[in-house]
Amino acid sequence: MISRRAINSMGILAGIVFALSMQTADAHRIVVAARHIAAAPGGLDDPVWGTLPVVPIPVKGRNESANDDETVWTTAAYTDETLYFLFRWKDPTLSVIKQSWYFDGSAWHHLEGNEDRIALLFEITRITNFATRGCAVTCHSPVDLPRERWKLATRTEREKGDLWHWKAARSAPHGHADDAWLTVAGNPTGSYRETGRRKDKGSGGDIKNQTGDKSGPLYMQDPKRPPSAPGFLLLEEAVEIKDYSIFKAGDVIPFRLPRYPSGSRSDVKSVSRHGGGEWLVMLYRKLDTGHDDDTIFNPLKKYNFAIAIFDNSGADHSKATQPLTLEFER
Amino acid sequence: MAGKRGGSSKKLLHALDLDGIASTLRNVSLPGKALTWSRFCGALSLVLTVQLFISGAAMCLYYSPAPGTAYDSVDFAMFSLPFGSIVRGIHYYSWNLLLAVLGLHLARAFIIGAYKRPREPVWISGIIILLVIPLFIITGDLLPWDQKGYWSTQVRLSIISSVPVAGDFITRALRGSSMTGIVALTRFYVLHILFLPLLLSCLIAVHFHFLARRGIAPSLKNSNSEVSRVPFLPDMVNRWLFLFLITTVILAAISWYWPAPLGDPADPTDSSYVPKPEWWVLFLNQLVTIFKGPLMIVGSMIIPGGVIIAIIALPWIDRTPDRHPMRRKGVMIVGAIFIMLFFLLSIVGYMEHHGPLH
Repeated sequence: MISRRAINSMGILAGIVFALSMQTADAHRIVVAARHIAAAPGGLDDPVWGTLPVVPIPVKGRNESANDDETVWTTAAYTDETLYFLFRWKDPTLSVIKQSWYFDGSAWHHLEGNEDRIALLFEITRITNFATRGCAVTCHSPVDLPRERWKLATRTEREKGDLWHWKAARSAPHGHADDAWLTVAGNPTGSYRETGRRKDKGSGGDIKNQTGDKSGPLYMQDPKRPPSAPGFLLLEEAVEIKDYSIFKAGDVIPFRLPRYPSGSRSDVKSVSRHGGGEWLVMLYRKLDTGHDDDTIFNPLKKYNFAIAIFDNSGADHSKATQPLTLEFER
Repeated sequence: MAGKRGGSSKKLLHALDLDGIASTLRNVSLPGKALTWSRFCGALSLVLTVQLFISGAAMCLYYSPAPGTAYDSVDFAMFSLPFGSIVRGIHYYSWNLLLAVLGLHLARAFIIGAYKRPREPVWISGIIILLVIPLFIITGDLLPWDQKGYWSTQVRLSIISSVPVAGDFITRALRGSSMTGIVALTRFYVLHILFLPLLLSCLIAVHFHFLARRGIAPSLKNSNSEVSRVPFLPDMVNRWLFLFLITTVILAAISWYWPAPLGDPADPTDSSYVPKPEWWVLFLNQLVTIFKGPLMIVGSMIIPGGVIIAIIALPWIDRTPDRHPMRRKGVMIVGAIFIMLFFLLSIVGYMEHHGPLH
């Protein structure tokens, strides 16, 4: 019906046209390409990570970290069901103190020190100009509003973000990142300023370990159970302190007690390690959790996202990226 | 059974007063040569145009032509609807392929001298069709309201506005206001889905009308020999349908694996975004780059306009009855120089914007 010569000619022509018409992403944009892998990585040291491309992502310091730029070495992969990230960044000091209690022999005091963190923000629904400006439109106050009043929020209810917040002292001990989402600013929990950050459905987070008069810890490790995360006190393994005379000078008890998450709040899992002056953190989550407070990752699509890292910080002074693109290689 | 079915269809055609047209179509025949591979580009162009109409109509069902929702509606149609990315991919790859196929169709007509008497109207209507296709691309580019479409449109409008006398008027007519916003998007949308398809359909009808009346250009080897004839219905129509099926399957497979690009949502305040010219416009972009400042009009209007006028006037420039390329050396040399310049400018443009010189 149609000669072989015609088909060959058209095939060559079509090949040239298709090659030319496949425009790549903006050349100035950092693209993290997740490669498809057959099986889930077994952990931080799984050999599969060595076979995947590593993307250096510059993070620029702001506020107290203004002169402290850093690079987050990022690798991404996905299976048919799950998306995996491996992040590595330099941090000579392990910070997990998070104001732990210290007993000096007569009274309890908070130790100085906070925790290291990494946060990722994706779009659940489109956030206006997030693609071109990244966290500048969400994490930070708009120029027309005082910074004390507004933080980490979107402009309209239609715009929603998906926040993965890994915390070295509060979510890492039970192998998760706190899963939250972003909407317009409000004050649902009575925090000191309005924020758009909301917890995903389910339980999780952490509680403060303090007595009613805030003079000392209320909980300690259950003596009948060995700690599943040595150095931390998980709420599920804590018991109320009945006899404070058992403590001796120099004893330390964590101030923040991570609670094992459930429901949509437990979607983002983590494995992490600090060693050799750097953090190595693996975060992973189902491509589609089925929860409306999470981004649905469709391997056909590209996603805008941004990263921030926090060094020994409990506030918003951090090092953040420009907007990034996550794409799925097929 | 077959007889009954045939009887039913005859009755239906009669009831609809279409039996006369059906009978006319059955009596239409074409030279057997119309189905050879060297005339394949014309049939493929028609099939790709139909693909564009059908896939475009399907996309219209979910498209919302307003800056706040256009991007999301395209994103939804592509990634949330079953086969959405395939439909948009077929649309996207069809116009890319259509431009190339029309280019080849034109080149072949030029080489065999198909523009010569008595087929001048076939040639001219074909050239106009080729000029209308980029208007579809220009208006369609803005519709997803992504960075590439928005900033490409800004560049194009700025080039149009540099045209003396009519430039400002055309820009204002297209944009509808001082900024590229909802009025511009609405106008581009209406042009893309209504006025331009109507115009193209009319032009195709005119092209076929003259093709039927003046005949297809005979072979160069035995132009006087008697040729066999094939019926339009069902032979030609079946071939078009077969080609349509094959093209759909191939474009769908490509679209499934490499979905049509959808960039970041347009941010009119992000003037740092520099759009890259697409492959089909690289030569024009290079011309504009060569002639800068007050000479910009030379690259944007005078040279392209002169070339278009020369191509349209070709039947009257090359008036010799001889169609063999070896006996039309002057025209062939000029044509070859033009094609070489086209490719040279395109390659340099590609290297500058997409390749090692970028």
